[in-house]
Amino acid sequence: MLLIGQKAPDFELEAYDPVKDDFTTVKLSDYKGKFLFLIFYPADFTFV
Amino acid sequence: MAAVAAVYDKIKEEGADVLAISTDTKFVHEAFVKNEPLMKNVKFILASDPTGKVCREYQAYMEDAGLAMRALYIINPEGNIVYLESSIPPVGKSTAEIMRKFLALKYVTEHPDEACPANWEPGKKTLKPGPKLVGNVGNYIDEKELLEITYRDFRMG
Repeated sequence: MLLIGQKAPDFELEAYDPVKDDFTTVKLSDYKGKFLFLIFYPADFTFV
Repeated sequence: MAAVAAVYDKIKEEGADVLAISTDTKFVHEAFVKNEPLMKNVKFILASDPTGKVCREYQAYMEDAGLAMRALYIINPEGNIVYLESSIPPVGKSTAEIMRKFLALKYVTEHPDEACPANWEPGKKTLKPGPKLVGNVGNYIDEKELLEITYRDFRMG
């Protein structure tokens, strides 16, 4: 169970970077040292 | 996503970043950014979790639908979860709500002896918990200010 104050689990995922217009891999640890908004959303092409 | 993109400059200016994850593949992410007009200003990375492994680890997976939930985790510079919210899919986020929350989290991180009371937003009074404040918050903080809710537009900085 994930709780407030706990270490966020690290991960490595394939990704699309709109700025470079290229595929990349992204790790949670890439963002270490800054606040991160980690946003989960159901699917692309949904309406909200 | 477009709503978050609209405050992304402000988020970057505050030294933070955004990473979005869904169960779509990276190819669908690319198609989404390039085809949906509302996505044209998205400058943050869209990550792909087609097996749902990471979504499950974050308890942000709907097993029946096989899709990620609508959820937000704010992670602090040390890598700890300092805020989380999730909802059923048809309700979108409010950038006013999440920006207010983020700026309060950042404020108390930078000022560890202070607290941001209810309805706090940048510019409003904070509290310094201590013996003088016990049973005395109402004399220290203006009730009208405490109860006032303003939905600030953080696109403007």
